[in-house]
Amino acid sequence: MELKHYIIRRILLLIPTLIGVTLLIFAVIQLFSPVERAALYIRDPRQAKDLPGIIKKYHLDEPVYVQYYYWLREVLKGNLGYSKSVNMPVFDAILNFFPATIELVLYSAPLIVLLGIKLGVLAAIHKDKAADHLTRVSSIIGWSLPSFWLGILLLAIFYGQLGMFPPERLGTEASVYVNSPNFIRYTKINTIDALLNGQLWIFIDALKHLVLPVASLTIQIVALIVRIMRSSMLEALNRGYVLAARAKGLEEHDVIYKHARKNALIPVFTVTGILLAGMLTGVIITETVFNYKGIGYWAAHAATQLDIPAVLGFALLAGVIFVFTNLIVDILYAYIDPRVRLG
Amino acid sequence: MWFRLGIRRFKREAEPTIRELKFSLNRIKSSPLSIVGIAIILFFVAIAILAPLLAPPPKGWRDPYMIPHEGWDPTPKPPSAEHPFGTTQHQYDIYYGCIWGTRTALYVGFVVVGTGVLISIVIGSIAGYYGGVIDEALMRFTDIIFAFPTLVLAMALVTAFGPSLESVIKALILVSWPSYARVIRGEVLSVKQNDYIEAAKSIGCSDFRVIVRHVLPNSIFPLLIMASLDIGAIVLTEAALSFLGLGPPIGFADWGQMIAFSRNWIVGPPGDPYKYWYTYIIPGLFIFTFVLGWNLLGDAFRDILDPTLRRR
Amino acid sequence: MAPTDKFIPVLASEVPTVENGLISSDGLTYTFPIRKGVKFQNGEPLTPEDVEYSFKRAMVQDRDGGPVWMFLEPLLGVYSTRDEEGNIVVPFEKIDKAVEVDGDNVIFHLKMPYPPFLQILCQSWSSIVCKKWCIEHGDWPGTAETYPKYNNPEVPPLQEIAMGTGPFKLERWEHGVEYSLVRNDDYWRGPAKIKRVIVKKIDEWSTRKLMFQAGDVDICYVPRLYMKEVENLPGIINVKNLPELMVSALFFTFEIDPTSPHIWSGKLDGDGIPPDFFKDKDVRLGFAYSFDWETFIRDAWAGEAVQRPTPVIEGLPYFNPDQKGYYLDLKKAEEHFKKAWNGELWDKGFKMTLLYNIGNEYRRISAEIWKRNIESLNEKFFIYIRGVEWPLFLKDMVASKLPAFRVGWIADYPDPHNFVHPFMHSEGAFAAWQHYKNPHVDELIEEGIKTIDPDKRREIYYELQKIYVEDCPSVITVQPLGRRWFRDWIQGWYHNPIYPGFYFYDLWKGY
Repeated sequence: MELKHYIIRRILLLIPTLIGVTLLIFAVIQLFSPVERAALYIRDPRQAKDLPGIIKKYHLDEPVYVQYYYWLREVLKGNLGYSKSVNMPVFDAILNFFPATIELVLYSAPLIVLLGIKLGVLAAIHKDKAADHLTRVSSIIGWSLPSFWLGILLLAIFYGQLGMFPPERLGTEASVYVNSPNFIRYTKINTIDALLNGQLWIFIDALKHLVLPVASLTIQIVALIVRIMRSSMLEALNRGYVLAARAKGLEEHDVIYKHARKNALIPVFTVTGILLAGMLTGVIITETVFNYKGIGYWAAHAATQLDIPAVLGFALLAGVIFVFTNLIVDILYAYIDPRVRLG
Repeated sequence: MWFRLGIRRFKREAEPTIRELKFSLNRIKSSPLSIVGIAIILFFVAIAILAPLLAPPPKGWRDPYMIPHEGWDPTPKPPSAEHPFGTTQHQYDIYYGCIWGTRTALYVGFVVVGTGVLISIVIGSIAGYYGGVIDEALMRFTDIIFAFPTLVLAMALVTAFGPSLESVIKALILVSWPSYARVIRGEVLSVKQNDYIEAAKSIGCSDFRVIVRHVLPNSIFPLLIMASLDIGAIVLTEAALSFLGLGPPIGFADWGQMIAFSRNWIVGPPGDPYKYWYTYIIPGLFIFTFVLGWNLLGDAFRDILDPTLRRR
Repeated sequence: MAPTDKFIPVLASEVPTVENGLISSDGLTYTFPIRKGVKFQNGEPLTPEDVEYSFKRAMVQDRDGGPVWMFLEPLLGVYSTRDEEGNIVVPFEKIDKAVEVDGDNVIFHLKMPYPPFLQILCQSWSSIVCKKWCIEHGDWPGTAETYPKYNNPEVPPLQEIAMGTGPFKLERWEHGVEYSLVRNDDYWRGPAKIKRVIVKKIDEWSTRKLMFQAGDVDICYVPRLYMKEVENLPGIINVKNLPELMVSALFFTFEIDPTSPHIWSGKLDGDGIPPDFFKDKDVRLGFAYSFDWETFIRDAWAGEAVQRPTPVIEGLPYFNPDQKGYYLDLKKAEEHFKKAWNGELWDKGFKMTLLYNIGNEYRRISAEIWKRNIESLNEKFFIYIRGVEWPLFLKDMVASKLPAFRVGWIADYPDPHNFVHPFMHSEGAFAAWQHYKNPHVDELIEEGIKTIDPDKRREIYYELQKIYVEDCPSVITVQPLGRRWFRDWIQGWYHNPIYPGFYFYDLWKGY
């Protein structure tokens, strides 16, 4: 089918998937009894007397489909509940913490993609030789290490011992300036805002604080990507057209970089999906370790306090982001590879 | 006479399978990394089986999975005669925790993957074999689960179930079966087209028999590869959940928990920053080696069993 | 620096006493001359009307779970402006009459003589706000008609903003992240030496420690667990063994809700406990003799806590240093368990679940100590320990579903009434959840708060301490000793046990 039709079809499919995502989250909420769900709104013993009132107010004891309607209505209005671990509504928390994570992802993603692809290709080309083994073992190490290990060790060395790269997002002086009326926070992404405000020193300060979290996140996710890239490259190298190219006498270099890699890049789009999943998961622990106040930090903090609205809010957000990104990836995929849309 | 006939017939029919098996074994033998992987796994299985001998619980101790500790002194102690790997904060014996934690890891890994595979075989083969609306519906459902990164969904589920080892296992099963189901479905779809399936159906084989005897045996290999790779991933996710406080109760023999205990001791006093190395290096090594073993095994399976890579 | 055991006049220009006539001889009238020349941070002058408004506003608001009961009791003789169902039962006239302005003074009319009244007025809930500013920002207009509307609001109008006469202004508050205070240069006592205070939430201990070591953090909260690592670092001062007015205990629930899952079978059949399990005093005493205070203090508190026999702890008036309590004696514990329930308990055994709130290591450790010691006495005794999140713990505690619960209490004001009431009065916070009722105790407590004569009060509170140990409605674990940690360039700090946090006005940085 034509690309246009494929795109329309995929976009239409989006709606039931999104509904499905909300249904799943709603189903998880339903695991609690009305009283337990009401209890999640109280903070002080004396308010506990009012549980029946809370149940009435949030329609918590009505039939399931009625509850779903009210719940979904609230969600679409932006009301995802109250995150007691940070004392603000969940929606506000998301708006508040998201820009920090975006900044982190902004700097990590290009590094991860470049390194991941490069190393994966390297390992595939030199299969079963030293470079391959080295890359594979390093990637397994990077993947098997508990994430906070890496983060804290990096902190201990580069902050504790060498004093070079501090945790958090900004130093004290920069933080005070950023929050003063002299500084306009257009995007809440510090590096961008600093440039827009013409304050170079803040730009540098923010970058300094980004080094370690970006390094930690990159190492973790590159490990994941290398193996995917390697196996997809291996597959590509064994395809018929590669043999044919070799038989024709083309130089190995051309075979790899002109033919195999281009086709191996298709799975790179799949890699983007994994990258995103890795990010959404990776930031949870990385941001916690570096006290970097993004949504990962918020989710982890909420989990330890069993702040259910927050954890579910985060899951819902992750789900929605994923669904949309997959849509874009699928469309790009279809654009590049006609076989896909013929479906 | 009938008996001897049976055996000879069996040998004849099984000959290609046996030949393939021998070929596989040879390939395994010639790949050093595969052997390393298998050795590692066997090593851990041995530890798990011998746990009561290697790390006997103290007399009168009620639950062997709760790590014994003398008192609650908050500072970890370095390795010594009574505590070969040292102790964590609150004096949990690291040696005991790592040994019995092996059981927990294997238990979690096998139960989650095993149950996930079983569920996925049922659902995936139904979806692939019958196709149509059933397939669409089931695949949409798996799509929804795929819409969430694993850890995030697992976090939400465990938070809802209430933190405990059982919750973690339940959550991980719920989160993993979709990917296996997809694979089975894909395999079933491709095998379904084959002539011998048509043939079997035409002589009146029931659907169930067709699926079990013809479709499944040919689709299972990719699943085996995924499953063995996943056992490592499952244990890592479980460790992450423990770290977030969403795992078994405090003091339970679980690698994730041992790492969680070490969290605040990674940076020691300024003069001796690696003072408490044993709290995180040792459990970390256990996790890492375990995951490495399964990874090597999984990679080996793939290199060996994948028909396109098999004979080079 | 000021002494911490004397009242200082701040916004009042004199501290009322009987001698200077500002407290009437019957103890029912307190007169406060209000200081002149003080300005709010928005420039408005402080007037007696602002003081009157501040207290009336607090009583009008009387939010659920709030602190206003502390002056509702002395001023109106009630604990709340509402009844069980949430309907307002206190008419506005009563609130109106309790506080009045007379020229430059503000006069309080008490319902009964109340020894701790002045202490209650020293804490944050007695802060003075600017009437004009509050009304401008949507708070109670000050009239009788609007009283019901502003009573017990969902979200109080002044939730996110603050403005007063103090030495610091609230500059910014990022929920869950940090807040910053900036100096009020027009403060009437002279501006503070420190320009800005930023309070940050850094959950990851390693990160916090590294920042403290690097000097990026001046004052730091160090959990007891990690104390030893930070103890001898250069440039870091720690002050220890600071007396704190707080206490913790294990409370027994006398009438457990029969639907509680934590009592298992709900019967004395070895598979659970009956709802009135703890009504049998031998059971309570069995628990009391099973607690290992020494190990608890040594390991969980690093030695920095003191065992106390009753809720009237050291530092409170009428603390009885000679009162004896319980101690670890497993033989005695065994005896009591054998006697309990006519010997049935020992034969059949029991099962119960002890909950603690996640994150609180002290409570977890103390629960484990009880579990270990009691389980070691009899194979058929089973105590399961479970950690749950605070709201669920709270919910079960308030519904009397927890067979026993571990919580603590921090002083609101330094008077024994603030401790005996929640622990022992049948309508007090804890005793109510426990369904503990001793009419004689109730009488004594009600008498004690009305009595001004110190000798008579001493008698009453000594008697209460004695009864507490005899009745054993709960077992006190410890009164902790505090520690403070800061960099050595922080000067001017002194300990005030009743003031939560740091009093930044007196601090400065330098050598």
